[in-house]
Amino acid sequence: MQGFTERNPISVAVYFLAAAGVAMFSMDPVLLAVSLCGAVGLFLLLDGLGSLRSHLWMLGLFLLSAVINPLTYHNGRTVLLVVNHNPITLEACLYGLAAAGMIVATLYWFRSFSRIMTGDRLLYLLGGLSPGLALVISMALRYVPLYGRQWRRVEETQRTLGLYREENAVDTLRGKARVFSAMTTWALENGVITADSMAARGYGTGRRTHFTLFRFRADDILLLVLSLVLAGVSLWGAAGRTVQYYPVFCLSPLTGRALAGYLAYGALVLLPLILQTKEAIAWHFWSWKK
Amino acid sequence: MAFLELEKVSFTYPGAAAPAIRELSFSVEEGELIVLTGATGSGKSTLLRLLKRELAPRGERRGVIRLGGADMESLPPREAAFSVGYVLQRPEEQIVTDKVWHELCFGLENMGLPREEIARRVAETASYFGIESWYELPVCQLSGGQKQLLNLAAVMAMQPRLLLLDEPTAQLDPIAAADLIATIHRLNRDMGLTVLVIEHRLEELLPLCHRALVLREGQLLGCDSPARAAALMASDPRLAESLPSAARMHHLLGLTGECPLSVSQGRQLVQRWMETVPLHAAGAETGAAVSPTGGKGALPPALELKQVYFRYERTAQDVLRGVSLRAAQGEILCLLGGNGSGKSTLLGAAAGLRRVQHGQVRIFGQKLSQYKGQSLYRECVALLPQDVETLFLCDTVREELARTGADLSCLPFDLTLLPDRHPYDLSGGEKQLLALAMVLAQKPRLLLMDEPTKGLDACAKKQYAQALKALRVQGTAIVIVTHDAVFAADCADRCLLLFRGQVAAEDAPGVFFGTNLFYTTPISRMTRGLLPGCVTVEEAAARLGKASSAARKEGGV
Repeated sequence: MQGFTERNPISVAVYFLAAAGVAMFSMDPVLLAVSLCGAVGLFLLLDGLGSLRSHLWMLGLFLLSAVINPLTYHNGRTVLLVVNHNPITLEACLYGLAAAGMIVATLYWFRSFSRIMTGDRLLYLLGGLSPGLALVISMALRYVPLYGRQWRRVEETQRTLGLYREENAVDTLRGKARVFSAMTTWALENGVITADSMAARGYGTGRRTHFTLFRFRADDILLLVLSLVLAGVSLWGAAGRTVQYYPVFCLSPLTGRALAGYLAYGALVLLPLILQTKEAIAWHFWSWKK
Repeated sequence: MAFLELEKVSFTYPGAAAPAIRELSFSVEEGELIVLTGATGSGKSTLLRLLKRELAPRGERRGVIRLGGADMESLPPREAAFSVGYVLQRPEEQIVTDKVWHELCFGLENMGLPREEIARRVAETASYFGIESWYELPVCQLSGGQKQLLNLAAVMAMQPRLLLLDEPTAQLDPIAAADLIATIHRLNRDMGLTVLVIEHRLEELLPLCHRALVLREGQLLGCDSPARAAALMASDPRLAESLPSAARMHHLLGLTGECPLSVSQGRQLVQRWMETVPLHAAGAETGAAVSPTGGKGALPPALELKQVYFRYERTAQDVLRGVSLRAAQGEILCLLGGNGSGKSTLLGAAAGLRRVQHGQVRIFGQKLSQYKGQSLYRECVALLPQDVETLFLCDTVREELARTGADLSCLPFDLTLLPDRHPYDLSGGEKQLLALAMVLAQKPRLLLMDEPTKGLDACAKKQYAQALKALRVQGTAIVIVTHDAVFAADCADRCLLLFRGQVAAEDAPGVFFGTNLFYTTPISRMTRGLLPGCVTVEEAAARLGKASSAARKEGGV
């Protein structure tokens, strides 16, 4: 069992919402730095060091977003240098860095999220909102690729049958139109059989149960509650410290409340690492005892 | 009291002149496995659908159907839906959802069962049917056989009292079909489940069933034990073709008495027969297994593949790994092999649909790249695809024939297709014939066919083989990918076994099937070691008959 990735998808989704959400609503540089480190760390934990190229792209995106702000926005008191009669200010640079950190951190949170949330998990989340919609989407997920495959097969067959007689655009277009109309018939015909199969298995005879692969266990509830509590404390702490970028960068002095917020957010960000590591350690103990 | 009872059931489709089902009365006891058989259009599917209320066709129905003593019409909708399970012919279309596990619990969700009950039944069903290892896969990754097994499992999870199957193996390869039939038999034997199954493939199922129900033109020809039903079917030439090989041999030899059905019974028959005649008389005929090749070495090649390698993606495994083969003009070449051995890919490469990465594909001595534009498909190469529905673009058979300039009368079939029917509404066999006519309209000199006998009944298969032999006489080269050993033994000049993208064996059918242990015909299994190189029913019957007449002559002298 994995400590974090295999928790109930609802808990995991709430965790990501909390972790990414706190950082998205605050421009506090400390919170943003923690969020960025945590997001990148979690992704590395899940993905390993494999996709180096994607990390370089992210670095590029970070630099670009950091640079754009001071180049386009010239507010701020502390002028660092002047380019084309436009002042580049320290404040705008800092703001750019913070914004870039927020963007890249959010992207990394989402990358980790989409790695963990496979189709079944997403469908489970959706089914929580509307079981009917989840069924429709599940059917569509089967149907759309099926349609695409059939389309390619029809095109190939028709090519050998001489449908696309000459290599000119008009003929090709006409051929495609015929294939499209045939595919519409095929889809309807297919739908009738699927509907038969649904009716034969008693669809629409009464109330349906919504069966899912996932359940709520104590660990899942713990993760859910921890995420919410830690996010609450972080927000409360962050609200106790004012951050001002323009005209002069100014951070109100560190209070106990703000410190509590930072610590809570730090704990929140480290939660997946702690849970996964706990399982890894448990595994080692288990294999030693054997 | 019978479990399922039909009393004078008649059914007429709206607008039809004659009823599809006429005054049918029979009863089924609980725990019986019954095979429903009859020629195309005899009303088998109509009858089966009448037994499943949700799928009953619209039209005028008379008579009473009772399930467990109660009139089927009076059952509440839930009970009616869940007490009768129904598996359709085509594996793909009856799947509803995208994942295996979801498909298994779809019916159970419809029943409104509590979660725990669903979890238990899904777990049980998945382990019984051996689905555990692919439980979380998307259904598009399954093979045809796995899909049909999933359909059966999904129905069985609802624990129906009566299981109906409409030609469940028609679209499967023989190995998957045998697996499915074994599973159906196991369900019947282990659980006492009542099963009614429509089947063309009587070879495996007839020896296993309790009774066979034979229909002709909507009327009951008989409902009797398998052996007696086989005797009954033997009297009708259309039905006789679909009997198991042992039974056909029995009738061709003009024997009376208990009809053998299985391979082992057939083998006993051959052994007994040969004991009654001197061994040397039968042994003298060993030279009979010469295939009718028209001197293939002398004729110029139509298709040549030299060391062909092909893969679909750069990182994927090779599907074809150095295949070399040659098909001469006026030769029928059959390619056999399991799923994923590269058979269909090879046809695609020959048809110019897949550009190979290494090696050469030559058609009539020219490289594929030398055929510019569409010239390859003009009176040169034609491909009959595995899914013949991909050929149909028009709304009626008439338009389809006109579009391709095809003519049905050029085929040696006694079947007339209704010209105003939609091609999709034809039966599986009729679709295959229409497809053949359309492909032949291209006047190909090299005809590539992918599983042409899917969905054909035995009689139509025989005619199909005749049509191909007629083409061969005209000098057309025919390359057929098939799973059907009986068909290949009947019409091939040479057979190839493809394994993991390579040619593993190549021989004339007599030697090929005579040597193969698994990829072979039932007759070859019956006569192994007794009549060497004997692979078709006709051949076996002729050689045994000759041997006995020779023995008689000797005895007379």
